Amino acid sequence: MPAKPFSLGELHFANKGDAVAYLNAMLHKYDVGDKVSAEDSKILIAALARHPEGDKKIGSGVADFSVRTADYSTKCFWVNRTDGTTEKFAHRACVYGNVRPG
Amino acid sequence: MSLDQLATWLMDEGVKDDVETLTRLAVRTELDNLAPETAETAPIDWHRLLFAGSILARSAFRQHQEAALRIATGAVTMADTQPVKDAGAVLLGKLTNFRAVALANDRKLLETDLEGRLGFGLRMEAQRRKLDHSVLVESSGHWLQVNDFQQRFWDSATLNNWLSASAPTASGKTFLVLQWLINHMRSAETRVSVYLAPTRALVSEIETNLAQLLGKAAEIEVSSLPLPEKYDAAQLGGKKLILVFTQERLHLLANVLGEDVHVDLLIVDEAHKIGDNQRGVILQDAIERLERSNDDLKVVFISPATQNPEELLADAPRTAKTDAVDSDVPTVIQNLIVAEQVPRKPKLWNLSIRERTASQPVGVLELASSPGNVTKKLAFIAAAVGERGGTLVYANRAGDAEDIADLIAQLVPVIEGTDKELIELADLARKGVHPNFALASLVLKGVAFHYGNMPSLIRQEVERLFKSGKIRFLVCTSTLIEGVNLSCRTIVVRGPRKGMGNPMEPHDFWNLAGRAGRWGNEFQGNIVCIDPDDTTAWPNGVPIRSRYPIKRESDAVLETGDGMADYLKRRADTPLFELADVGRFEQVGAYLLSTYLRLGSIAQASFAKRHNPNTIAKIDEQLAALADKIEIGSGFAERHPGVSALGLQSLLEAFRAYEKDVENLIPAPVESQDSYDRFVTIMRRINEHLYPAFMPDSLIPLYVVIVVQWLKGFSLAAMIRANIDYHNRHGRKFVLPKLIRQTMEHVEQVARFKAPKYLSAYMDILHLHFREIGREDLIDTDLDIGTQLEFGVSTRTLLSLMEMGLSRMTAVSLYEKIARDNLTKVECMKWIRERDDQFDTMDIPAIIVREIREKILAIDEGSPDTVSP
Repeated sequence: MPAKPFSLGELHFANKGDAVAYLNAMLHKYDVGDKVSAEDSKILIAALARHPEGDKKIGSGVADFSVRTADYSTKCFWVNRTDGTTEKFAHRACVYGNVRPG
Repeated sequence: MSLDQLATWLMDEGVKDDVETLTRLAVRTELDNLAPETAETAPIDWHRLLFAGSILARSAFRQHQEAALRIATGAVTMADTQPVKDAGAVLLGKLTNFRAVALANDRKLLETDLEGRLGFGLRMEAQRRKLDHSVLVESSGHWLQVNDFQQRFWDSATLNNWLSASAPTASGKTFLVLQWLINHMRSAETRVSVYLAPTRALVSEIETNLAQLLGKAAEIEVSSLPLPEKYDAAQLGGKKLILVFTQERLHLLANVLGEDVHVDLLIVDEAHKIGDNQRGVILQDAIERLERSNDDLKVVFISPATQNPEELLADAPRTAKTDAVDSDVPTVIQNLIVAEQVPRKPKLWNLSIRERTASQPVGVLELASSPGNVTKKLAFIAAAVGERGGTLVYANRAGDAEDIADLIAQLVPVIEGTDKELIELADLARKGVHPNFALASLVLKGVAFHYGNMPSLIRQEVERLFKSGKIRFLVCTSTLIEGVNLSCRTIVVRGPRKGMGNPMEPHDFWNLAGRAGRWGNEFQGNIVCIDPDDTTAWPNGVPIRSRYPIKRESDAVLETGDGMADYLKRRADTPLFELADVGRFEQVGAYLLSTYLRLGSIAQASFAKRHNPNTIAKIDEQLAALADKIEIGSGFAERHPGVSALGLQSLLEAFRAYEKDVENLIPAPVESQDSYDRFVTIMRRINEHLYPAFMPDSLIPLYVVIVVQWLKGFSLAAMIRANIDYHNRHGRKFVLPKLIRQTMEHVEQVARFKAPKYLSAYMDILHLHFREIGREDLIDTDLDIGTQLEFGVSTRTLLSLMEMGLSRMTAVSLYEKIARDNLTKVECMKWIRERDDQFDTMDIPAIIVREIREKILAIDEGSPDTVSP
């Protein structure tokens, strides 16, 4: 069975694996503590909309995104909300639609 | 027979036996828990001894002077007849040791009106000696009685532009220098003086002493903050200013002032530390920086017993009048005692006194229990031999200091009724550090420990109560030889190390030992060395008395021949992490490169004349190759001493190559959620480009937590609580005392030392980059990050409180109660004054309330009438 194409906003990928690879590359372009650029933020908004807990993650609304430390010295995307709160999210979950335990 | 020959004969034969007997008897009165002596001692022939003493007093040799002092002191303290005591006092006068005479009077050892009992000739002589040894404090019209060294210092400091003075630890140097400084400020045109001290501990001590000497509502300001306000006021004709700084703080202020920095008088205390690895060259740079901006700069160097104080004058301008004032004269008798276990009797220790090569037994010390290990040996012997108090124990590590103090506290007699000041100190330790901080329960028993990373408010109170006698035992670490003016009656030491396990050099040992004997408070001081023949403890034996050789760090490195040129060659294209000798060469290398960038060749620099021209030429060649790669101006290197221009250039290139939004390069405000991670990335950038300062990489997250909390104005207690919570949350085990010490160490060494040094260089280069790319809008002109970090402030209110002279501990505890974060000094003052009568009910430790009252409210109430003379 051929892989299904997958879209994040205006970006179209041949399959989910490519989408995850794209988001991985985006993440690794940043150092911890960086603000995500406006251009990349558009993709992340689209990605977050597909997150299984997207509504909860978005909460009061997205102000911008940062890259910060995750557990075990790794890094991940964080959504900064308009009410000043912040929460991390797994970009893989935005593509595969499930939240991995741990 | 010449006088010297006569004196030598007296020492070697004439009165040798009598002096030995006198010494043994005198030492026995100093030590507690000695087994009683059975043998009778022949009576001392005082007349013979005093006559010999008066001859020995005229000799310039230290050992003759020592013997004369011993005879004089013995006569005053031990003889039973008034004429002998009087003669002892006259001999002390001949030795210009007026403080010892004053002490004898205080102790009622002499009957009043000594001069009245002297014959006409002696009376005249005594009065003439007093007149000869007085200096006129011009500003007040008072005469100050001084000893020979102090007098030479006073005269020479007034006559010369550059002066280097050296004298043993307890010879009243600091007291006199501060007196002279104040007098000079009052009577000369001097507007701004800088007093450099090597540690923050000594800075706060000197600042406190100056404030006390000047009195309330003084016409001279004293400050230890590198802020331009008071400096500008002083230059514009306002109150004159004395700035008390470490070398790093001086650079911070000079950076803020830029070209305008102009200091009239510079005093460099503990000047031998110009030889320290890594910080010595920063000190040298600070001196040269002030000299460059004022050709007429007056400089006074002070060092403890040094061999070659004149070395510090080598770089004085040719036109400057220079002088070295040197003294090796003892002011207090110092007894070097060794303690060796009686074979097969671990509770009994033979004590003997050592003088040069000779040794004579003084008695047997009886311990209450057998000391099983090294820690117990130190603790048990100290507790026994120094039971009456004033006893200092030297520990090699902060952790050992805590353990030894705990053991001593179990052995010493219980103090009846606990003292209010000790209770207050315990309260401060509990609230300011942690409820279970060991110091709290120890001080209630009159025992304390002391190390450099402790908050200054606590450390100073420990020192004060040790001086006053309420703390009877103090266990300390090498902070004491790094520059804290604290003397004691008895020091107990075994196998002392300095820093990371290196045996102490003889001059360091004698700097420590020199603290035994409080001139003017005691007649003698005792140094007890345990296990002198144990080569693990003392690989080179108990050091014989020796004085510091002064050698600049830069000179020491340059004398390694081609080492420096070789390093600079590799430095050009080797990643910093791969340079094994970066710690040894980088700071001096940075200094040389900075000098090269300024002058175009280091052969032009004044230090070049001291070195082999071939070495200098080779280094010049390497520097030329490095300088080709450097575009930043020499000003940048000058602003960041110890940070290589090559590193600054490398960082600039990294900024230029940065492709993402440049706003990500700026540290995020500490309130921001990105702050923590942004600092992590910045520290990694610093490690890669400037210097591997934050190592190992795996500890960076921990360093950043400390830095962010420190900047947020957290109290030390809050930082320790947060650290404990972190360990609990992550299921990590910890040992509380160690965690407390580690948090203190990270605050002092990372947040207050490395972070300001490297982050201010980082910001400077970042601003250069922003100007290059036309993004001046991103340059924030607020308080620079270096100053924020040194003081642990990021809000106006907290800074205002510290500008008022409060310690950070006090400032933070007030800040916790103040709602607004943008108060000026005047507004803070108002806030404090409105709550004067509420402080006692606010659950603020009494010592903090006392500091507020002494430093803020008292000054506020002071009127010009209360100016002390």
